[in-house]
Amino acid sequence: MTVEPGVEELRELVAEFQPNRGHVMPALHKVQEKYGFIPRPAFEVIARQLNSTPALIFGAATFYSDYRLHAPPETEIAWCCGPACRVLGGQRVLDAIQDELGIGFDEHTEGDRLGLHVGQCNGTCHEAPQVWVNGKVRGNLTPESARELVRELKAAGE
Amino acid sequence: MNAKLESIIAEAKRNWQSEQNSGRIRIRVTRDTSSLARGADETIAKLQGAIDSKKLTADLGVTGSWGFCWMEPCVTVRSAAGTHTILYGNVTPDRAGEFIEAIAAGRDFPELAIGVVEGNATADIPLLSDHPFMKGQVRRLMANIGTTDPESIEHYLAHDGYAGFGKALEMDAEAIVKEMLDSGLGGRAGAGFPTGRKWDFLRTATASPRYLVCNADEGDPGAWVNRVLLEGDPHLIVEGLLIASLATHADEAYIYIRYEYPIAFARMQKAVEQAREKGLVGKNILGSGKDFEIVVFFGAGAYVCGAETGLMSSIDGYRGMPRIKPPFPAQAGLWNKPTNVNNVESYANAPMIMRNGAQWWSSVSDAKEKGTKMFTFSGSVNWAGCVEVPFGPSIGTVVDQWCGGMREGRVLKGFQPGGPLSGVCAANRNLTLTLDPYRELGLFLGGGGIVFFDQFTCVLDMCKFFLAFCEDESCARCTTCRGGTQRAVEIMRRIQAGGGRDSDFTNLQTLVTTMVWSNCFHGQFAMTTIKTALKAFPDEWQEHIVEKKCRAGVCEALESGLQPVRRVEPEEALALAGS
Ligand SMILES: Cc1cc2nc3c(=O)[nH]c(=O)nc-3n(C[C@H](O)[C@H](O)[C@H](O)COP(=O)(O)O)c2cc1C
Ligand code: FES
Repeated sequence: MTVEPGVEELRELVAEFQPNRGHVMPALHKVQEKYGFIPRPAFEVIARQLNSTPALIFGAATFYSDYRLHAPPETEIAWCCGPACRVLGGQRVLDAIQDELGIGFDEHTEGDRLGLHVGQCNGTCHEAPQVWVNGKVRGNLTPESARELVRELKAAGE
Repeated sequence: MNAKLESIIAEAKRNWQSEQNSGRIRIRVTRDTSSLARGADETIAKLQGAIDSKKLTADLGVTGSWGFCWMEPCVTVRSAAGTHTILYGNVTPDRAGEFIEAIAAGRDFPELAIGVVEGNATADIPLLSDHPFMKGQVRRLMANIGTTDPESIEHYLAHDGYAGFGKALEMDAEAIVKEMLDSGLGGRAGAGFPTGRKWDFLRTATASPRYLVCNADEGDPGAWVNRVLLEGDPHLIVEGLLIASLATHADEAYIYIRYEYPIAFARMQKAVEQAREKGLVGKNILGSGKDFEIVVFFGAGAYVCGAETGLMSSIDGYRGMPRIKPPFPAQAGLWNKPTNVNNVESYANAPMIMRNGAQWWSSVSDAKEKGTKMFTFSGSVNWAGCVEVPFGPSIGTVVDQWCGGMREGRVLKGFQPGGPLSGVCAANRNLTLTLDPYRELGLFLGGGGIVFFDQFTCVLDMCKFFLAFCEDESCARCTTCRGGTQRAVEIMRRIQAGGGRDSDFTNLQTLVTTMVWSNCFHGQFAMTTIKTALKAFPDEWQEHIVEKKCRAGVCEALESGLQPVRRVEPEEALALAGS
């Protein structure tokens, strides 16, 4: 289980940010960079630092798909939902991955070992269809090679 | 020109020259998101290892992307004498060993050569300019990319960097705006609104402080033209913003970069810091008495934050929800102060216009749209890359020449000209890369990302996918958009599952006619894909809804009818799509 950081530690982390200067997102980024997600107390700490309210900060954070409210898995597979990947067989790649993992989007396998996330196209469409494994492209997948990849990742953690 | 600027440019030029004449072999590897995806860092490590162990008198550096993205990592090798430079592609880590063996032995490596950049063609290696991918390209925005190190302001300065800003420093705001207007530069995000006119709105605004926003949110999946610039020549964007600040009396700029582009974010930050060190950003720029700040801002994954009013509320720290216009950004933008929002590529053209004049800049094509435009191509084609071309070439040229044709066994069925709001078109090789033909068909030529699809793509599945994207990315303010996109996805899913009904044609039409009432373009144009697909591919809708068939064999609940696509003559396709 992840231990939530203390308020003091969070306060120090966001001490540089100021109200009304466009600092909400930079503060959230800084917290996420440190912990891999935004722990609950951070919303209150950031709100106080920026003269705002936890509801506003939480509202802003949850608007975006890349602020996380929970600790990330050890290994994250982000599946590209973009058009080039789709045209070249991305859906069948996803079906194979989900079948092999037994989980849906934003769920984790036992012990938070592997997780699945929706990734957005970043213009590496020449590798389509693809996934990012902890940010690293694994491209030109077929349903078979995608299954193979998942098995490899499962085995790596055993 | 400003004496200080003149002297730093002159010094950078001298340094560049002596680097060129170093008598060492110069090896340059592209290092950007695309080449890293194909192993650039391992390639770099292997090349460096070999240089060290073989004690080669060579130096290794990095550049941005040449646009041959499907062949990354690309490497240029310049001979010690400086007479011969060759561009290689696919120098993947597993090939790096034999590659450097050849270079160390003083040989070329024709197997991976793309073309000769400098010097004469050899028996095995043609000139780069004769490569089909390079033919017809005019590289202005991309002129430095492949040559300079994107993390070096010295390299940028050595290529007349900041000279456009130097010229602008000697002009008054009105004259800069006039030059921009004369050039005919239209907004590169897709709408084509004259950039000079936007700048004039801000110039004549009365309140202060005033802001510039550089929209680097590039949310259209399949588009990475802005990324090529941000990662490949970040100083071009800094210079563009500096010129805009003089033209509009802006105090501060925000460069809003999407979360998917961390390298772009890091390089832009570095570029701004370097410019600050040279006295080009900050207080009393180059002793001119002008102050200007640039903040590099990182998004967090939200498509609607690309819409200018959404982007501004995102910077402000609220949910990134677009709002009703007016007021327009020039009246009330960031913190309710006058603000100008442009796309990355729009700002990046300003240095070209200032350095060479509006006349030169606009003389490149006969099309109504002036200047060059960057495009990225992907999907069922052989080559997924990035080009810079004058407006006007046909889709036929794009596919045959810049995409290396269709992948084996795939026939062009259609394409999406510019993102999830832009619609889909039937294959029509005569359509040109200009704005009007798409507008006439109810589509948009958007920010530059064109995605091609083939007979194995189900048009209804594409529509479902894009509507699901619009549903996910809706800011949820308007019922028409929030509910409409949900409804459209439900209907599409049901049709794909075999539950299509005749009334679905009317259902979809209802959504087409009501979602246009949404506040922002996201909701207004979310149905464009379905609307244009209904016109361009009527048979396929009929098959799915009435006959329960999917000719592409994608919808698994339906009878697969994999059959050759009907050959649609260009005139017929136009008539179909436009009717
Ligand atoms: C949903 C939506 C997404 C958009 N995404 C982008 C984007 O990613 N990049 C961009 O430059 N403009 C985007 N725009 C257009 C901007 O609102 C704005 O018009 C543009 O940045 C103006 O730049 P230009 O005049 O230089 O073309 C988007 C618009 C909408 C409605
Ligand atoms: S569509 Fe998957 S990387 Fe572009």
